[in-house]
Amino acid sequence: MTVTVEPSIFKIVKYDSKEIAGVAQEMLKLLGMESTNLLIDVDETVAMSRVTTTLSDPVHILVMSSAFENLKKPMTFSIDNAKFSLGRGLLRIRDRQSGNFADAPTDEDLSVVESAVWETYCVGRLSRLGLKVHKQRWQYNFRNRHGFKDAVDKQFEKIWEADGLTWSQLSEISQHALA
Amino acid sequence: MRKFFPVEDLARDERFNQATNEERMADPRGTSNTGVIRKARSTNRLTPLRPDATDAARSLMHGIMVGEIQALEGAGRTCFDFVTGEEAPFALKLDMARQCWDEARHVEISVKLSEWMGTELGQFIENTVLFAAACSQDPVLRLAGVNRALEGLAIDVFTTMKEFGELAGDPYLAFCEDWMLADEVTHVKMGSVWLRKITENDPERRKKALEFQSVVDKIFSYGGLRSESDESPILLARRFRELAGFSDGELTEIADVSLAALNERREAVEKTLASSPA
Repeated sequence: MTVTVEPSIFKIVKYDSKEIAGVAQEMLKLLGMESTNLLIDVDETVAMSRVTTTLSDPVHILVMSSAFENLKKPMTFSIDNAKFSLGRGLLRIRDRQSGNFADAPTDEDLSVVESAVWETYCVGRLSRLGLKVHKQRWQYNFRNRHGFKDAVDKQFEKIWEADGLTWSQLSEISQHALA
Repeated sequence: MRKFFPVEDLARDERFNQATNEERMADPRGTSNTGVIRKARSTNRLTPLRPDATDAARSLMHGIMVGEIQALEGAGRTCFDFVTGEEAPFALKLDMARQCWDEARHVEISVKLSEWMGTELGQFIENTVLFAAACSQDPVLRLAGVNRALEGLAIDVFTTMKEFGELAGDPYLAFCEDWMLADEVTHVKMGSVWLRKITENDPERRKKALEFQSVVDKIFSYGGLRSESDESPILLARRFRELAGFSDGELTEIADVSLAALNERREAVEKTLASSPA
C-alpha cells in the first residue's frame, strides 16, 4: 500500500500531508483494502466538501478542502471528517473493485439522486464499522432527493442496513422510493 | 445590569465556536461559481438541484439559528441600553420587546429545523457580525444596521429557504420559513418607521444612519452571498422588501452594493486560483 498526498505542503489551509496519509492508511486497513495504492489530491482553493474517486492504479481521490475541515475552526484539519470523507470515497472504490458496480456511472457523472443512494449505502456501512455518523443528516439528504414520505424512509432504512448490494439493486430501491 | 455589552462577551456554551466577520472574510477559498466549482454546480443559487444542496441548506440553517440568537440579544439590549423617553421612546422599546418574543420563537423553530435536517448545534462556526451591528451607541444606528440591513437580509434568506423547502417537498421547512418571513417583514418595517420618525427633524442623524445601513448591507452581502445574480446563493427578495418599507431607490442601491461585493469576491478568488499551483 502506498499513499501519496498532493500538495505535500499546504499554503492556504492548515493541513499536514503526512497526517492525511496516516488517516488514509488507517482507513484502507479498516476497509480491508491494504493492497490499494492511493493518490490523494487536495484542492485547497475550494471550500466545498466534494470527494470524487477514479478507479486506477494508484486510485485517484480528488478532495475539495472542506471534506477534511474542522467546521468549528475553518481552514484547520479534522481527523474525524477526513476519516469519514475518505471512508465514503474508498467504499465507492471497493464497490467498483468488486465488479458489482461495473454499470455504475463514474463519480463525475452520478446524478444527485444516484449520489444520494450510494452515499446512504456507504455511510450506513461506515456507521457499523464504528465511525461517528449523524444518521439524520443522511436521511435528510435521501429525503431531499426522493421525497418526504414514509415510504421513502422505509427504502432509506433498507439501504442503510444493507451489505453486499449491487449497483442494479441500489438503483431498484431508489426507483421504488421515487415511485 | 451592565449596559452596552461587547460582542466578545456573548455567552455561549462549549458547543459553540465564534468568529468575527473579518476572520471569516480572511478565508481566501472559493465558494462561488469559479473554476472547479463551476464543474460541480450549474448555479450557485441555493436550490435542491445543486449537488451540495443538502449540506449547504444545513449550513445556512445553522447560520440562521445563531443569527436568531444574536438578533434576540440585540433587540434585548436595545430595550435596556437606552434611557426611556430621553434616548429611546417607550413605544420603540415596546416594539423591540415584541421583537425579542419573535426572535426567541425563531430560535426554537431554527433549533428544531436544524435537528430535522441532521445538524448538531454548534457544528458550524458562529459569525458574530450580527450582534456587532447591534452594539452602536445610537439606537437609530441600531435600527438601521439591525432592523433594516440585517433583518432585510433575513427576508432574502427566508425567502430562499422557503423556496428550497417547497422545491424539495420538505413541508416543515417551507411552512416554518414562511411564518418566520412574515415576522421579519414586520421587524424591517418597525426599523423603517422608527428611523423616519426619530430623525424627522434631524437630517444629519438620518444621513449617518443610512450610511451605516449601507456599510452593514455591504458586510452582510458577505462577498456576494446575496444579490440578484445567479452566482449568489441568496436572491434579493424585492417584493417582500417592498412590503417592509424599502423604496425602489433603496432596493436598487442594495442590489448595486451586493453586486459590487460579489465582484470583489470573484476577483479575490480568481487571484487565489491564479497563484495556486496547477
